[in-house]
Amino acid sequence: MRLLRLAFLMALVSPVSARAAERPLESLIDQRIDAKLAADKIAPAGPADDATLIRRLTLDLVGRIPTVGESEAFLKSSEADKRAKLVDRLMASPAFDRYQAILFDAMLNSEPGRGRSGSVRDYLVQAMKDKKPWDVIFRELMLPGADEKTKQAGEFLRARVQDADKMTNDVSVAFFGVNVSCAQCHDHPLVKDWKQDHFFGMKSFLARTYDAGGQLAEREAGVVKFKPTKGPEKPAKLMFLTGAVVETDTLRDLTKDEQKKEKEASDKKNKDAKAAPAKPKFSAREKLVEVALQPKEAEFFARNIVNRLWHRFLGTGLVNPLDQMHSENPASHPELLQELARDMAAHKYDIRRLIRGIVMSQTYARSSQYGSESRPEDKYFAVAKLRPLTPQQMGTSLKIATSDPKQYDGLKPDEFEKRIEQAESAGRGIASLIAQPTENFQIGVGEALLFSNGDRIAKEFLTDGGGSLLGSLKTAKEPAEAVNALVRTALARPATPDELNTLHAYFAERKDRAAEAYKQMLWALVTCPEFRFCH
Amino acid sequence: MQRRDFLAATTAFTATAFADMTGLNVLANPAVAADLKKNQKRVIMLWLAGGASQLETWDPKPGASTGGPFRAIPTDVPGVHISELMPEMAKRMKHVCILRGLDTKNGDHGSAAVTMMRGRRNEAGLKYPDLGAVVAREMGRADSKVPDYVTFYTQTEGRGMAPGDSGFLGARYAPMELTTNNTPEFIRKLDTISDLDHKTRSDLRDLLSKQFAKGRQSEVMGSHNEAYERVRGIMASETLFDISKEPQKVRDRYGPTQFGQQTLIARRLVEAGVPFVRVGRAWWDSHGQNFETHQEMVPELDYVMAALIDDLKDRGLLDDVMIVTLSEFGRTPSINASLGRDHFASAWSTTITGTGIKGGSVYGKTDEKGNKVVAEQVDAGSLFATIYSALGINPEKNYYVGSRPVPLVNPGVEAIEEVLA
Repeated sequence: MRLLRLAFLMALVSPVSARAAERPLESLIDQRIDAKLAADKIAPAGPADDATLIRRLTLDLVGRIPTVGESEAFLKSSEADKRAKLVDRLMASPAFDRYQAILFDAMLNSEPGRGRSGSVRDYLVQAMKDKKPWDVIFRELMLPGADEKTKQAGEFLRARVQDADKMTNDVSVAFFGVNVSCAQCHDHPLVKDWKQDHFFGMKSFLARTYDAGGQLAEREAGVVKFKPTKGPEKPAKLMFLTGAVVETDTLRDLTKDEQKKEKEASDKKNKDAKAAPAKPKFSAREKLVEVALQPKEAEFFARNIVNRLWHRFLGTGLVNPLDQMHSENPASHPELLQELARDMAAHKYDIRRLIRGIVMSQTYARSSQYGSESRPEDKYFAVAKLRPLTPQQMGTSLKIATSDPKQYDGLKPDEFEKRIEQAESAGRGIASLIAQPTENFQIGVGEALLFSNGDRIAKEFLTDGGGSLLGSLKTAKEPAEAVNALVRTALARPATPDELNTLHAYFAERKDRAAEAYKQMLWALVTCPEFRFCH
Repeated sequence: MQRRDFLAATTAFTATAFADMTGLNVLANPAVAADLKKNQKRVIMLWLAGGASQLETWDPKPGASTGGPFRAIPTDVPGVHISELMPEMAKRMKHVCILRGLDTKNGDHGSAAVTMMRGRRNEAGLKYPDLGAVVAREMGRADSKVPDYVTFYTQTEGRGMAPGDSGFLGARYAPMELTTNNTPEFIRKLDTISDLDHKTRSDLRDLLSKQFAKGRQSEVMGSHNEAYERVRGIMASETLFDISKEPQKVRDRYGPTQFGQQTLIARRLVEAGVPFVRVGRAWWDSHGQNFETHQEMVPELDYVMAALIDDLKDRGLLDDVMIVTLSEFGRTPSINASLGRDHFASAWSTTITGTGIKGGSVYGKTDEKGNKVVAEQVDAGSLFATIYSALGINPEKNYYVGSRPVPLVNPGVEAIEEVLA
């Protein structure tokens, strides 16, 4: 424990050596993951086949299943670097920016389903397009300023000004991987790192934030007082999670005059508040950003984003739960986490670099099937984890799975992108009815009832209208042709002989009403787990 | 025959025939009913949304300046008086426990409703499951043929304030919500597919999913399959929502109002094994004309609740089913200029009837005018600890959010032993 704790506290932002810089991130990842597998004598699953791999990559990077055309081209290609080419094409697509922004939005707004902040998402999409590094995004979310381009970012904090405790916790969880709310009423029961001073210290940075008639503003001064479990009430310092303190003479209550000014500013309606509220001479929030990113303290920030992205693509964090990154909860692969965090900081918090490294690794590309009964624990990353699709993945994929594959064939790249964007909008309605996966997620019977009996599924997806998959089957000469097309389109892979038999038998009983038979088969394909999960 | 052919043709897969659930009449099956009686506790919550007045129901103050025009009447429990607006309940108080000392601190509809459905406030980083979700999780069965948690709230006032919510327990325990009529959404198949195809289609899905599951293991995949396996059973439970299946005599007992009908549905549901049903009845928020409002609404509550108690008793279910009457708060003893009573969370009442509870008991005492609790105060936490204990659920039981243990009630919160049977 002692050693881990030391390792945890070691500053990690040091210049990378030239030798390490040459080494692709993916090989570093595989080396560390494989070393632990070898040490614990665990055999990893073999690599996923190409059809599974392109489905996984397309889902993870751009939020949808591949089209038949994409999938077949990938399967057919014998180029040695076809995977790298695919990853680069997907990451260069505008759909990558849109989809990753949705995931960052969900990460920032942890309450699933409710309080979706449209404007923060718009900001994030633009930030992804502009390839903004993670530290810049953090800075702009925390200090949105009056600039039109970053003003939308201010909604993240503005939505939380009514509840400074929530703001404190949400900021700590999203950017530092630390849930300090336990330390609100008492020192953390399990973690000696977290004292009440930490919670109220973090709160002190944020509690001066208020809403001035629709604009985010900050007070000149303010003091958060708290009653420790022992001893009298005391004022909190501006203290970061590492214990680093920012000295200031502004830890005081506002004067009457200052309070009056704030009230006036808050009462102003959106319309006449054109001029942004004046920035305070000393901005506690700005200090928080400064402290959080300074070399000695940035460990929290860097490790958190690494862990979040790792979890996004592997389904399990290097540290779990994601909001419990502290000394008593060590990472499964401490060196790897540290090296990736160091790499992140050394490369200006380049999100894409880490994403590319993860999805190019062998670790990422393993099969989700495991031969023997004794399946290794998730923390080994020996087998790909089944991850339920996100609402957006479900919506867009459902549209693609039920559309005539020709819709996406023979298009120029920008026409293709446009068609995909249309599929995204077509899937949005159904996506809003699908639960956002969270930790320990379970799928409820409500979803199964919706898919079984919902008018919407029947009318929007299982239709045989123009451009639909079912419509295209009307001209199928042989049932086998139709059955192949169904599996290929819905599951993004060729059908197996067993499946062909099964589906053919199903069809044989409905020969006289082929259209209905195909519709029912398509229903079974899009409701089976192979469709519902990224596998 | 057709179905058999299809299954026989799929020799590559493990052929698993589904029990046909559509024909299963859960009510008529004595084995099912007996089993339920033995093991499972269930809850019907009558949610008096907007805040019913304790003074016009369970804690009348006749003669006090705050008392209003209604009298108090004696009940079948010596010494216990309730409002004269509840003559039917007055004959049945031996089954009921009144808690008169609720002090829940929060007089805001939305956040108070959240608290009273969970027994505590949500934390900054943690959304608690509500009572329905906890009971669904504790009492529901993985393969249950009926929903776990049903909530009716068909009036418009305040509907958005207290939706059922499974919090960190997630979609698996989310309620089936009925907000427009008495039939749940998506419970009936579309007309465009025959029942046989609907069934065979899901058999096909099952075959495909079994094939995919080879060499794979995942709890969330398990929940996905389980959800689809429950569909046919839940569809069969549609008849539970149809009160025309009840003899006219029983329907007359509950009366013709929507609240009465939904309460009868609730009884049908718990009888078939649904662990938790909430019947929301709104329009209690009597800021003006409090007495007219209560004169109209309390007799309905009285009549319906009495009918429910009798019905459960006749069926031998009162030992296993709990009835809770609850609001987000009560109403002010002081009467405002519009002859209304406003929001009041400092001294109000709730009742628990049935399983695990000492019938005929009264816990808690308010002062002469009803302004404050003078003895046996109860907060939301201890109310919930009491409900859990009465249901046989250990209130200190932990759920795990990640590695963090989260007990059903906050540490140090205890049940009120005095009212437990």
